[in-house]
Amino acid sequence: MLKFEVKKVFSKPKNKIAVMLLFVVLVVTSVLTINRVEYVDENGNHSVGIKASRNLREAKNKWAGYLTEDTLRKALEENTTINNSKEAMSEDIAEQDKAYAKYQGIAGIIDIINSAFSEFRDYNPYAANSVSADEVGTVYERRLSTLKNWMNSGEETFTEEEQRFLIQQYEKLKTPFYYEYADGWAALLQNISTFILILALIIGFFVSGIFSDEFQTKADSIFFSAKLGRNKGVLSKMGAGMMIVSVFYIIFVVLYTAIVLFVLGADGANCPIQLDLWRSVYNVTFLQAYLFIVLGGYVGTLFASLLAMLVSSVTRSTTTAIIVPFIILCAFPFLSRIITLPQLCLFFPDQLLEVYVDMKESGLVNLGGKVTTVAAFIIPLYTVICLILQPILYRSYSKAEVK
Amino acid sequence: MELKITDLSKKFGDFTAVDNLNVTMTMGVYGLLGVNGAGKTTLMRMLCTLLKPTSGTIYCDGNDIFNMDGEYRKLLGYLPQEFGFYPEFTIKDYLLYIASLKGIRPIVAKKRVKELVTKVGLQKAVNKKMKNLSGGMKRRVGIAQAMLNDPKILILDEPTAGLDPNERIRFRNLISELAEDRLVLLSTHIVSDIEYIANEIWLMKDGKIMHQGTSEEVINSMPEKVWECYVEKNKVSDFVNKYKISNMKSEANGVMLRIISLEKPFVNAKCAEPSLEDVFLYYFGEKAGVEDVEI
Repeated sequence: MLKFEVKKVFSKPKNKIAVMLLFVVLVVTSVLTINRVEYVDENGNHSVGIKASRNLREAKNKWAGYLTEDTLRKALEENTTINNSKEAMSEDIAEQDKAYAKYQGIAGIIDIINSAFSEFRDYNPYAANSVSADEVGTVYERRLSTLKNWMNSGEETFTEEEQRFLIQQYEKLKTPFYYEYADGWAALLQNISTFILILALIIGFFVSGIFSDEFQTKADSIFFSAKLGRNKGVLSKMGAGMMIVSVFYIIFVVLYTAIVLFVLGADGANCPIQLDLWRSVYNVTFLQAYLFIVLGGYVGTLFASLLAMLVSSVTRSTTTAIIVPFIILCAFPFLSRIITLPQLCLFFPDQLLEVYVDMKESGLVNLGGKVTTVAAFIIPLYTVICLILQPILYRSYSKAEVK
Repeated sequence: MELKITDLSKKFGDFTAVDNLNVTMTMGVYGLLGVNGAGKTTLMRMLCTLLKPTSGTIYCDGNDIFNMDGEYRKLLGYLPQEFGFYPEFTIKDYLLYIASLKGIRPIVAKKRVKELVTKVGLQKAVNKKMKNLSGGMKRRVGIAQAMLNDPKILILDEPTAGLDPNERIRFRNLISELAEDRLVLLSTHIVSDIEYIANEIWLMKDGKIMHQGTSEEVINSMPEKVWECYVEKNKVSDFVNKYKISNMKSEANGVMLRIISLEKPFVNAKCAEPSLEDVFLYYFGEKAGVEDVEI
């Protein structure tokens, strides 16, 4: 029965087109992600993609290792040498590019120094230029102290519990960081949310007709008058929906990840996310961050699809059901650009697809004094909601009348 | 096998589609005759557990069909008036899918599908997509799906609607063949279909069964007589206004009218043998044949 339900979905011409569209999106997003990695060679020539990643990996991995005080000092010295070179001092952009070519290997380390010596909410891209060799070893302490300074400044609105949580998380972070080329992961994480959003919308499109099409094709009378029409028939529809969501999500996320990491390299999986997101409250590696983002995306896709199926069952309209994932996943991010949305919007399902942004901005949830991050709260929350939606969906469809 | 309907009513808002119905069915073919809107489809949908009655009960061998749930539907084969299907499925896929919905094991289903497509004459079209089938072929697939589980109760809602005469006769014969050893409820507003197939005829109007019995009994229930006479063309309208006319045929020397009337309508009128069509016209009057919205 399940096989036929899946066949029903993919025998529809519009869904066949949607599958092709999904492949196009996969290719386009992969190319855009791959092109995020750039490299400038010693002659000032720019390159992107596979060649750039190879050269950048070579340049960065010369500095691979733990970012101890000694390494930081050496990187700072190298930065000073590059800054004082005639190429860097030149007015000619081509010459400046040559200086930048030498700089790329230490760029990640200097970025950390810049972040550590900047104000909490005010990144200074030249901060490292005025840091002395004696000071540079304090980068990890400064991460914590700038947070505390900011909290004391009165510019933020965190409660005492939230402040305590942030400080605890900052203190828990293992230092020194391990540094190596991790630009493949960094590029992947930056684009994966957009890819997952498109994937979720297309998956929602696939499943939105599973329940309503019986009514729209007028096949409902035969379906519901069959022996298993009101029990296993409904379960097989739900199973088909869940299977389509899960299989498509996994296949396309794995394909996207595989393409990007195959081209850009999977090095740096165990480096801390703070190499890229210095202020992040999430003490995770790039690989863990990726898994967390993918998990959030899966729960978000599942929730949007289940709601689309429920609307499809209740309204008996595929068109209405198709709109549901768009409203859930796109309306609030769009609205938030126009108006300031209340704090409650942090818990809306679109946030499940914005885990990367949450890692960057560290939104917090305070539940009666127990503080956690937004993603750590909404992922289990929506998992439970997904579980609750399933019996509701089953009941709504199995009790349907054919008028 | 006995289906007992007791005090059955179905209301849609203020409109009563089925009104306090009390009937019992056993093995045999029951023909449900009525105009559109008489409540035939609503009654059939309740018998298929697609609609819940507003009041009253339907018992199958002493058990409430809504409590029996799947156990009752296991006995059921249903061909709805609007036979919906999945346009991209082939006949074979469609029937195998319905077989799985009916709880038939795949190995048995394959055999049964093969038998039925042969029986309904679709063996050559078995891999054709449903969207490419003619109206008659779709109806044949419809009857095949209804027969997949070898149902004890077969409910056919307007099975011959929209078919050309050849296809209709073929289909009628097929239903007769399939009707053995089952309880068949057949609804139509094509009187001749019922006359040929049904053992018992129910005349349904405004949600009620007005008359029930064999074809002869129903015909005899009509209190008026049937007359045939030739009248001049210019007098036809007078007769139409005054009497119920069940047939009108133009001929060279006038118009032959078939009139339903208690008294002799015209001096030259001859008393004729009443048919079921006359009865249909008598009971359903001017609404007979009018295409209303199906209830």
